[in-house]
Amino acid sequence: MTRNTRILMQCIYWAFVLYLLVPLFLMMLMGFKDSKFIGFPIRSWTLDWYLGVFNDTAVVQALGYSAVIAVVSTAIALFMGTWIAVALTGRSFWGRAIILGLTLLPAVIPGVISAIAFRIAARVVGMEPGMWAIIWSHAIHNVPFVVLVVMARLSTLPKSYGEAARDLGADPIITFFRVTLPYLTPAMIGGGVFCMLLSFDDFVRSFFLGGYEPTLPVLIFAKLRSGMSPEINAISTIVLVLTALLGLWAERSMRGMSKRAAND
Amino acid sequence: MTLSNAPGKADRPGFWGRLSGFGPYAALTEVLFASPRRQFLVLLTIPVIWVFVTHLGPILQMLNVSLLTNYPPSPNKVPSYTLEHYGKFFTEGIFITPFIRTMVFSTVLTLTTLIIMYPVAYFLARHVPRNRQMLFLMLLLIPFWVGEVVRIFAMMILLGNNGALNLVLQFLGLTERPIPFMYTGFSLSAGIIYLTALYMLMPLYSALEKIPANYSEAAADLGAGPWTRFRRITLPLSLEGIASGCTLVFLISTGMYATPVLLGGPSTTLFSEVIAGFFHVAGDQWPVGAAFSCIMLLTALAVSGGFNKIMGHLAGRVKK
Amino acid sequence: MTDVKDPIVRIEGVTKSFGSFIALHEMNLNIASGEFVTFLGPSGCGKSTTLRILGGFETPDTGRVILNGKDVTALPPNKRNVNMVFQDYALFPNMTVRRNIAFGLELKGLGQAAIKARIDELASFLELTAYLDRRPDQLSGGQRQRVALARALAPDPALLLLDEPLGALDAKLRAQVQVELKAIQRRTNKTFFFVTHDQEEALTMSDRIVVMNKGRIEQDGTPEELYFQPASRFVAEFIGETNLLSGRALAVDQGSAGFDWQGHQLRATSTPGRAALAGGAATASLRPERIQVQRDRPATDNAVQGQVVNRLFKGHRMLLDVAVGETTVQAYTDTDRGRELADGPVWLGWNANSLTLLAD
Repeated sequence: MTRNTRILMQCIYWAFVLYLLVPLFLMMLMGFKDSKFIGFPIRSWTLDWYLGVFNDTAVVQALGYSAVIAVVSTAIALFMGTWIAVALTGRSFWGRAIILGLTLLPAVIPGVISAIAFRIAARVVGMEPGMWAIIWSHAIHNVPFVVLVVMARLSTLPKSYGEAARDLGADPIITFFRVTLPYLTPAMIGGGVFCMLLSFDDFVRSFFLGGYEPTLPVLIFAKLRSGMSPEINAISTIVLVLTALLGLWAERSMRGMSKRAAND
Repeated sequence: MTLSNAPGKADRPGFWGRLSGFGPYAALTEVLFASPRRQFLVLLTIPVIWVFVTHLGPILQMLNVSLLTNYPPSPNKVPSYTLEHYGKFFTEGIFITPFIRTMVFSTVLTLTTLIIMYPVAYFLARHVPRNRQMLFLMLLLIPFWVGEVVRIFAMMILLGNNGALNLVLQFLGLTERPIPFMYTGFSLSAGIIYLTALYMLMPLYSALEKIPANYSEAAADLGAGPWTRFRRITLPLSLEGIASGCTLVFLISTGMYATPVLLGGPSTTLFSEVIAGFFHVAGDQWPVGAAFSCIMLLTALAVSGGFNKIMGHLAGRVKK
Repeated sequence: MTDVKDPIVRIEGVTKSFGSFIALHEMNLNIASGEFVTFLGPSGCGKSTTLRILGGFETPDTGRVILNGKDVTALPPNKRNVNMVFQDYALFPNMTVRRNIAFGLELKGLGQAAIKARIDELASFLELTAYLDRRPDQLSGGQRQRVALARALAPDPALLLLDEPLGALDAKLRAQVQVELKAIQRRTNKTFFFVTHDQEEALTMSDRIVVMNKGRIEQDGTPEELYFQPASRFVAEFIGETNLLSGRALAVDQGSAGFDWQGHQLRATSTPGRAALAGGAATASLRPERIQVQRDRPATDNAVQGQVVNRLFKGHRMLLDVAVGETTVQAYTDTDRGRELADGPVWLGWNANSLTLLAD
């Protein structure tokens, strides 16, 4: 590779980093603007918008609502995803490919169509739009990601570990809880945080399946449509910081896992 | 050296010992795990039910509703099966245009994202030292943990009439009046690339990272120039990454809803907005929306499936 | 087949196939209590399948496995009083050594105090007391191997299975562990069922060796029987080095036989039941270290003349290639004599009990 192409690629990389980070930075900055109108230039600064967020009960409620949905849907996705991964790993049987394909299906269906399919299905089974409808849709959508992460981890678990446990008197259930599950923990933490982020950030499913109470992204969407104000910047910035922290933590946990796997 | 198996009264077994000695539990495991075959069936039953009911079920429900004359059912109008909603798509021109626009738009954006992200992935995989790759990658990853709506909002601030971009352009004297970037194909494209680029980057990066550097060196040793080396070695070996990146980006862009609503305008209406429209009004439009969803799902899966097939074929030829 | 009184394990007509591959053909075997039995054979010979059937990890297609008089053929591993030392030790990485050893004891329903007493007993026996609170990844290979042994011995199994447990150790440590393992087996008086493809390991440790080939038992006997009276060409070649002489069997008597090799009338031994070989083409095994090499004709039962064509220096001894007629015979000699006999005609001599008539 010639020197010039390398420099060109480096420039593209940094330009792209700017493209990704500058809008977010501007958004954070705008939250400090002492005016109701969003737009440049910023002439005077204030902290009121940020302080105001915590007094806005609608925002605080939406935050709590989103958090509950994220936690519960993640718990369901982890439970089912791990079970599916364990059932599909290490065996070949007729129909395995079909089950694996169906397992990954929710991850490849375009967002709006998945939301509509869930909306219709909820109606057919008589589930009212609201928290549980959102939780189910998020859980189902997130199962494929858990399955992929857990299967990757399981493929590195030596078969002899489970056999040793069986040999020492453990039935399959005790073997799972005492040997398999501890081995999977790092993958499940990483996968779980990823699911929480997906759920917490999700707009389209929450929008189509939600009742009167909005999740945080739906609330921001509604505020954006009714007119921009720096309050939205403050809310968004808080969401950004929360999600970035969670994401960083998950990334570290996953990296620790691959490092430990390499040491094994 | 034998084990005296007579624990004293005060010597209580631990949790696992008590559990496996607990009568009902032991009886249950006896039944569940009577044979390896039984054990396998027990393990597989719930996953199979789950994927069929919750993963496939909603899609089949959508297909079913798309064939009904009316839904939700009302006492005075019992639904029967019909194909008229599908017919509507082909006979009424107002639906075809957004559909074609969505497909063309998604295809063009997918290719654009590929062209932008390939050098980025190549740079990361090849020219950044291993120990710093994670840091460089992290700079790109962090924005992607932020949700769709927040990122669209950030785009709006950048591109608005009073936005940062116009401010800079005016300051540089390139334009006198603000350029209306928002609510155009430009703002929509910028937003979609902003939202999907990572899904292109990650497969490309992991494909490129796997190619041993000495392949290229060996080719250089045999006298291949940079372009030949790229065309004959790097590109063919990254085909699988290209295929999965393009598939992901294509499927995600066709399914976007908040982005076209917030960043697009009347001239850029996408099919997802059309479909959603049927669900905002009172119930009896649902079958039409369901039918249109089915058409879009089929087309999107067919396009990405066909694309994958071609790429798989190419990759297979390379391996030979 | 060795007669065993009051066997602890009886394998009766066990057959096992994986798809079209038949791993075991109609195997019958009895193992006595307190025996150190080694299953020896190349990979794919069925030795590991036998071990896994005894452990309960595979179910035989036909036949029965009887442990302590009880049919355990269909019992899962957790319901058998059999424990295993795995090839990779399979120590649970998330538990300390203590927790690893306690694993089987907890599931037996033992109380905390009894478990502690048992762990202490095993730890002092296997010299693990200092490592009880470490994790497996903080131990050396030899220590891990002992932990795996302690863990498998802890629940007091009727039969201990060892699946090539020395494979992961380096050569020096291996020799030391072989001795230790044999001593542990004697002191615990447990029945050890050891699987290996290493013939030297098998010869060193075992009371009894079962040589397997292609899913069948090739020979079953003490290490010395196997070495000096190999029943088949396969056993002769697999265990130690040997010269295989092709010739014709002459009269075959109880125990002794005549063997015609390149016109030399040789005296050989024969295992019982080889009478049918008389008069036909046959092979005989001759261990290189049982041959005397000298300038003059030796006073052994058999003696032939040959020419040294090559020599390999092996330190304390030397391996000579001696051309006899159309074939080359290998013979060991001490280094000094080897130097003297570098060139020229030599005599090879050996006694009748060193030449064993084989069934092909």
